[in-house]
This record gives sequence, structure tokens and C-alpha cells, in this order.
Amino acid sequence: MTAARRCDVLVIGSGPAGQKAAIQAVKAGRTVVLIEHERAVGGACVHRGTIPSKTLRESAAQATRLARDAAIWGVPPRAGIEVSSLMARLDQVVSAHAHYMGRQIDRNGIERHHGRARFLSPDTIEMITVAGARSSFTADVIVVATGSRPRNPPEIPIDHENVLDSDSILSMLYLPASLTVLGGGVIASEYASIFAALGVKVTMIDRADRPLKFMDGELVAKFVEAFHRAGGTYIGEQAIGGVTFDGVSKVLTTLSDGRVVSSDKMLVALGRAANVDDLNLGAAGLAANARGLLAVDEHCRTANPRVYAVGDVVGPPSLAATAMEQGRRAARHALGLGEGAGSETIPIGIYTIPEMASVGLSEDEAKKRLGSALVGRARFDEVARGQISGITDGLLKLVADGTGKKLLGVHIVGEGATELVHVGQMALLGQMDVDTFVENIFNFPTLAEAYRVAALDLVQKR
Amino acid sequence: MSTQEPAAPLAGPRSQENPSPSSTHADPGERDVLRRRVAERLGTGTIVLPLLPQVANQVLALTSQPTVDALQLSNLIHRDPALAGQVLRIANSPAYMPSMPIVSLQQAVARLGMETVTEIVLAASLQSGTFKVPGYEGPLKRLWRHGLASGLFAKEIARLLRSNVESAFLCGLLHAVGKPALLQVVADAQRDRHRERGTVGPVPDEVLHQLLAEFHTGVGLRIATSWALPQPVVNAIAFYAAFEAAAANRREAAVACLADLFASDFDQPRPSFEPDLASQPVVGELNLYPQDLAQLLAKRATVARTVESMTL
Repeated sequence: MTAARRCDVLVIGSGPAGQKAAIQAVKAGRTVVLIEHERAVGGACVHRGTIPSKTLRESAAQATRLARDAAIWGVPPRAGIEVSSLMARLDQVVSAHAHYMGRQIDRNGIERHHGRARFLSPDTIEMITVAGARSSFTADVIVVATGSRPRNPPEIPIDHENVLDSDSILSMLYLPASLTVLGGGVIASEYASIFAALGVKVTMIDRADRPLKFMDGELVAKFVEAFHRAGGTYIGEQAIGGVTFDGVSKVLTTLSDGRVVSSDKMLVALGRAANVDDLNLGAAGLAANARGLLAVDEHCRTANPRVYAVGDVVGPPSLAATAMEQGRRAARHALGLGEGAGSETIPIGIYTIPEMASVGLSEDEAKKRLGSALVGRARFDEVARGQISGITDGLLKLVADGTGKKLLGVHIVGEGATELVHVGQMALLGQMDVDTFVENIFNFPTLAEAYRVAALDLVQKR
Repeated sequence: MSTQEPAAPLAGPRSQENPSPSSTHADPGERDVLRRRVAERLGTGTIVLPLLPQVANQVLALTSQPTVDALQLSNLIHRDPALAGQVLRIANSPAYMPSMPIVSLQQAVARLGMETVTEIVLAASLQSGTFKVPGYEGPLKRLWRHGLASGLFAKEIARLLRSNVESAFLCGLLHAVGKPALLQVVADAQRDRHRERGTVGPVPDEVLHQLLAEFHTGVGLRIATSWALPQPVVNAIAFYAAFEAAAANRREAAVACLADLFASDFDQPRPSFEPDLASQPVVGELNLYPQDLAQLLAKRATVARTVESMTL
């Protein structure tokens, strides 16, 4: 092996977090090396997570719309369908996105390598290629953005045939008649609602009394209602006593209360495990914490001051948008640049059916912090565009301080929520009053009009 | 179902899998005549996939036992790719009207019930029972073993890649499904040629290998289309030997390609297999690092045991 090459910043992983960290560093005039263990850039977000699941979701949403409008078009949706046909555009979407990201990295002059990285010392990284060749780099700053993979609880026999994880479920050949989903987080909720919309009988099982505990309860109630309408079942407050495949055709799940749930397939979505196993963290003076994650401070800095960690490898919220911001902020902090606005204005988007989105404080958080809060609501069925588009099960909530003036948070459930939330995000960033929504004009008919309706509701409560 | 045609003529399979270990010399002129005859037959004839007759016997014996269960039946069908394909085709035919496409044997047994699947197996066996390839029993058996080993290796590769193993098994099992069907076509062409010339003898191994390599993908695709196999399996058949050209299901095609390489080494072990493996393009395609390959290589003994136990 030749002598270690030097660079200013070395980034491990080219997912959303790593890519933004690398671009931020190179824009600050630093030499940057990016090591990606996969052949293509983009990380799990592009190849196994966000983009593939959203492609499937788009097909499911279309199926939902088709089923709703079947009487109009006289074409009922097909009863059974191959998963691959639902993912028909996936290869092009993934390839186009990875190509775009690769070009962006190259255009910015980031030196890109394909290989697995591991620490040799606190400032030295060794890279091994697929062919087994080794080389090493030293860097002033090292950003770990190695992402995560589905967590496989040892007590659940994931075989990628009958008991699947969120990676292998995307390569299923056919839609099963029934699916048990273990978990109540983002991935579990997204897939549960997607498969329910596709006509699969879905049973979601979790320890919590409701899914998505970190989201506004009113939004989640709407989501669960829609899930039940699609034929899904949520079983809460249950531990898993055991999971077995009957050897022929059924996965049997024994619950803590003794019930047994039978299904064709199972999706295990009980969290994700950080990709730290190959990093040889000990050589950098680091170790994964009890949850298998890299612990960081508010600047995403680890216990080794030259090593930062961003994205899924540091744990929740494990959202692509948040990861990007972590990457950007970590690079800026490491290089002594200002980090900019706070993290409360980072929106959360959950691609369930219907979508959910949130930015700023929730009602509970606002009450906890300020002692009181006022809330304005707009149901999508009160908005003309909601009626026109058949999106009537949505809800938009504005959270304000106790006077009902200062906007603190926006929470939305319904199709288009992940786009719609950005209006509220800009209002929060601009520190606008709730009255801004009342005093200004929105296009008609639009779902954004719900902001005005919710603001009017809030004003009446002052 | 639409079948994506390769952009360019498919190269022969990368595998060293040979239908027969012995070799006889081929007359170049006769080889060309036989090649032309095979091409003519493929241009006009109907392809019928041969079945191992023993499987039909096994099914009959199995189903006559009062204690037989669905798992045993499913396992038995799994031993024979041709039979598995026939079961899937018939299970999806209007006669059985499945509510959704049936693409796996497990699904077939679960959805249709053991009795119906048994009927399908027997019907498939009877329809193809007369379709033997006298004089080529050895090559045929080796082809089935290769398919089975490919399916089992594909499962291990998929598991390592966190992909669905059921899909991978079918892709591996059926990636070269055209070869057994082609064997019959070649044998028929040779028989006609012998009749014309008043000669006897099997097709020389070298010629047989060349013909199978040249024509099996096209035959496999015809079978895949007629059986309405799932698109990932169709694309694995079409592109396993040229996965770089696959516009869709490139990973499935690459998994089938690597499984084919492992199965070829299983057929005829070569000392250079392990050292050469890391430099194979498909290893780079699937992003398998040295420790990943070591994991796969460690599975060879398990796969070998399974193949032996499942070979009739």
C-alpha cells in the first residue's frame, strides 16, 4: 500500500447527508475526497429507501384514485398485479437521480472513490475496493455518513422470502393477499398504507397505542382512519411473542395477549441499524453507543473532534431532508463557518397514504414550552379544491402562541401535505403572524387556501 | 406481458457448464448442416419443454400416501424446473382462474390447494411424458442439476444482497430453461439427418454445447412468454449472459449470471474459479467485496448437499 494521501475533508458515504457535507466543504474551497461503498452514488435513499418506496407509493396512490373513479371511467382496477409492474419506472428514476447526483459531485470537483472505508487512526482512512486493492487517506475533517440498513431483531427469522425487511420487500414478485407489518414508525406506516391501498390485507402491529407517536395525534388519527378504510388493521400495545413460518404458506405472529395473526408475508420494520460495523471505529477513538449509533453533539461532532457523523448513522429522525441539513451544518461547523437558522424549521414529510407533514412546534410542545397555545383547523372538505380533487380527508392545523398571533407550527395530513407544508415553513422562517394568512390572497381553488381557513378559525378563538 | 428484446444479439452464456463431460470430434460441414436444421425447426416448430419422467412417478407415489402434505409436494415440484414452470403456467391458465397471478410454487400450493396442484402436476407430466430425449439422458440430467444449483446459489446471493430470495430462486432456476427444450430440438434434427444419411450416433458434445449456447436464450424467452413468467424472470432469462444490456431488472439478471457461474463451478470444479471470481464483471456489478465473496463461497457445501438431496 502506498503512503496515505492527504485531503482537507474526507466524507464516507454519498447519501443525502454525505453529499451535502462534501459539496459544502468544496464550496468553501477545501479539497474533498468522497468514498462510497456502493457502485453508484446516492446511498440507501436513492437505491433502497426513499426513492424506490415513493415510486411504489405513486403507483398505490394511482390505484387509489382509479378505484375511487372506477365508476366514472368504467374501468375497475385489476385484482392482482405484479410488484415489478408497479415499479416499472423505478430503474429509470433511480438511474436518473443517481446520474444527476454523480454529475453534481463531479462538477463540484469532489474526488470520488468506490470502496469500503475504515479508520486506521483518528485521522487516517483505509479504502478497500471491490477488487481488493487498498489505499489510504489522511484528512483534517472526516464526516461519517454511512447511513443505515434495516434492523434485524435476532428473535425474528427474517429470511427475505416469507419474512422480509424494507429492502427485500421491494423485490417481491407479486402482491401477497395479506401482509403483517411489525412496527409503528415511518417505514412501517408508509409500507402498511401503500400495500393496503394496493388491495393487500394489512395488519400493523406495534407496542405503541398508535403509530407515529412523534407526530401530532390528530393527524395520526386521520391516517389510521384512512388505513382502516383501506382494509388495514392496526393492533397496538402488543409485544411479539414469536414469529414462525408454517412451512407451507403462512407467517404466524403470536402476540403478547395470545392472539395469532396469520398472513402470506411479513414486513419487519422495527427500526434501522447504523452502518458502523466496517468502520473500525476503535481506531478513531470512537465506539457505537448502546443503540448502535454514533453519538454526536448539536453540531454533529463525535467524541473525536475531527470526526463528524450525519444522517441515519446518528439515529432519528432519519429523514433525507434532515440528513442533508445535518451534512451541510456539520461541514460548516467543522470549517469554522456559521451554521445558519435553527433546526426547528426543518419539515418532516411522511409518505403514507394519505401523506403527513409537519414543521415547527406541535400543539403539545407549544403548550409545554409556553404554557398555552391556540390551534386553528381547516378540513380539506371545507376547501373547494379538496372537493374538486376528491381529497376530502385532509386536515391542516396551525399552532400559535396563547395570544393566537405568533405562528409556531404547521401540521398537515392529506394528499399534497408534503408540498403544502412548505408554505407554513416559509411563514415560520419569516416569523410571520397568523394574520398574514388572513390578510393575503391565495389562488382559488387551491389546497393552500386551507391555510387561510385555518387562520380564520384561529383568529375566532382569540 | 411484454418481453424486452435485447438490444444486440445475446452472447453465449458465460458459464462453462457443459452438457456432457466426454467429447467426440465434430465434422464442420455436418455441424453447419445441423445448426441450420435446428434454426429451421426453431423458426417453425412448437417448443415443448421436456419433464423428467421420474418426477411424475414421484408425484403419483407421493399423492397416493395418506399422510402427504403440501410442503412435500411443493418440495418435489421444486426439484424440476421444467415441471415447476409447467405448474405455474397451468395454475395461471383460465381453467383455474386465479384471482391474481401465481408466480411461485408456494403460492400455487397455498392458493389452489394441494389437490389442485397435484392435478396440475399430473396433467403437466402426462402432457410432456412422451417427450423424452433418448440418448441424451445424461446431458439432460446435468442441465437440470445446473438449473437447480443456479436457483439455490441465486437465493444465497439475494440473501446477501437483502433482496427477495423467492424471486432470485426462480430467476436462477429458469435462467437457462431454454436448454432442455433445445436438447430435444437438436436431437430431432440429428435424427432426421441420420435418416437422410443412414448414419447413427449422438450429436458430438462440442456441437451440442455450441448449439445450446447459441440458441437457448431465444428458446427460453419463448417458454417464458408462453408461461407468462414474471417480468424479472423473463429479463433474467434474456439478459443473464449480458446483464449490462438489461434496461430493467438488471440486478436480477446479474444475480442469475453470478449464480450460473457458481453452478458451473459446481458442475465442473476448476482450480481457477476462486482466484478469478473477484475479477468477473458481474462481481463488480453486484458490488461484492472480498468478504462478501468469501461468505458466498462458504455456502457452496450447503448448496451441494441440497442439490444432491433434490436430484432424482
